[in-house]
Amino acid sequence: MSYAYLFKYIIIGDTGVGKSCLLLQFTDKRFQPIHDLTIGVEFGARMITIQNKQIKLQIWDTAGQETFRSITRSYYRGAAGALLVYDITRRETFNHLTTWLEDARQHSNSSMVIMLIGNKCDLESRREVRREEGEAFAREHGLIFMETSAKTAANVEEAFINTAQEIYDKIQEGVFDINNEANGIKIGPQLSPSSQKSSSGNPALGTGGGCC
Amino acid sequence: MNNKHKFGNNKSSILIKEIPSSESVQNDNESPSKQSEEEEVESKASYHHDSEKPKNGDPKLAKLKKLLYEDEITDLSLLRTITWSGISDEVRPLAWKLLLGYLPPVRSKRPIVSENKKTEYQNLVAQYYNNRQDNDEMYRQIHIDIPRMQPLITIFQQPIVQDMFKRILYIWSIRHPASGYVQGMNDLVTPFFVTYLSEFVPRHSFADVESFDVSTLTDEALATIEADSYWSFNKLLDSIQDNYTFAQPGIQRLVNLLSRVVSRVDKKLHEHLENNSVQYIQFAFRWMNNLLIREIPLRCIIRLWDTYLSEGTLSSTY
Repeated sequence: MSYAYLFKYIIIGDTGVGKSCLLLQFTDKRFQPIHDLTIGVEFGARMITIQNKQIKLQIWDTAGQETFRSITRSYYRGAAGALLVYDITRRETFNHLTTWLEDARQHSNSSMVIMLIGNKCDLESRREVRREEGEAFAREHGLIFMETSAKTAANVEEAFINTAQEIYDKIQEGVFDINNEANGIKIGPQLSPSSQKSSSGNPALGTGGGCC
Repeated sequence: MNNKHKFGNNKSSILIKEIPSSESVQNDNESPSKQSEEEEVESKASYHHDSEKPKNGDPKLAKLKKLLYEDEITDLSLLRTITWSGISDEVRPLAWKLLLGYLPPVRSKRPIVSENKKTEYQNLVAQYYNNRQDNDEMYRQIHIDIPRMQPLITIFQQPIVQDMFKRILYIWSIRHPASGYVQGMNDLVTPFFVTYLSEFVPRHSFADVESFDVSTLTDEALATIEADSYWSFNKLLDSIQDNYTFAQPGIQRLVNLLSRVVSRVDKKLHEHLENNSVQYIQFAFRWMNNLLIREIPLRCIIRLWDTYLSEGTLSSTY
């Protein structure tokens, strides 16, 4: 399927906070209560629409355990967006956010959009981190913030799509250099220079994908 | 849960076809043509077999039984050449223990070693597991991970089994601080656990074992399975510990080795991956970290491990 842009995302955060379940809910619209451990990195993809433009999200879901950090770090580079996830029912996953953020900032490109996510908000009775604390952390570090539930799907669409909106806005503002793929953005066949040329009368350079 | 396996049967049959399995040799109602096929398979396996064939059976199994249960001292190198091409379910538990070097080749010494090892393990449990701190990080991690393990195989959802895994992993980790517990190690216990459990499941099929209710076993039997699994896991990890130490150098080496192998045996594929900027570490990391356990059905993994353990070492020497 043809798209205007491809955005690469990375999902990070402590082990067991629900990273893989968020991805599964977003790509497959289902919840798997027992989800096996993510080892290394796994992938997911979905098409979304922002301002009438088709955008393909290519999502890299990483393992949370410390041992894998040296492997997963290499995936920060070349990501346009990051979902930094903690579990509102486990305070220590919130306490580790600073380390995750430092790691992300150090190994990614400076314009990467980071969305802070407090997951498992369906488990209100077991809540250990107040919503206001998440908001305060996000404000202090310049992140977007949302509480989600991979189980009920609450805010899951929004989390992925709002991040894409923010990246899209940054492209419009010229913050992202979209010709540098290391920024995690790829121009799709719809917008690539060759297809633009072909629509202006040079069929020889057509990409074959394009519109119907 | 209905799905016992992540993949369909066709995948496993392909695997078994490529590596001749001893199981297939046991059917009494075989057609003559099949019989000769099997003889061919046997002659390919590099071991001598006597001209006198047991009447209703599998000469390979008979040979294994003699090696394991009759010889005073089991010839380990002969054992390896036979087990390399697959081990029958009924002799696999003992064969694995010998191949791993967990039990000695001298037959008369096995019961005492086995008993001592069991006591030693139980002492470790008392010393470390029962005395752990409430806020022990490693324990918390294992405790979160075990209930998430292999959700499609029902036996791993049983509380007794999960507690056994927690103890095995915790004790190993506390005694190996250079790596500690690394996610994926839990999977490496599963072939041992299922194999040693099968000793206590009468006339089983593999599906029986994967869904067996362990609460029907005696405490004595459970303790034996647990201790045997622990020591076997311990032996296995001895040879591959640098897969799990800082930055996981063993895995990096294995992934590089895979890349070199593919570049030789399937240059086109190698170039295709390269042209699309796909790095081997992106897809093969889990293969190595979990020794393929997450990629193919467990009963095929167990067959694969017959060969792994017969090779003697899993470490990459490159």
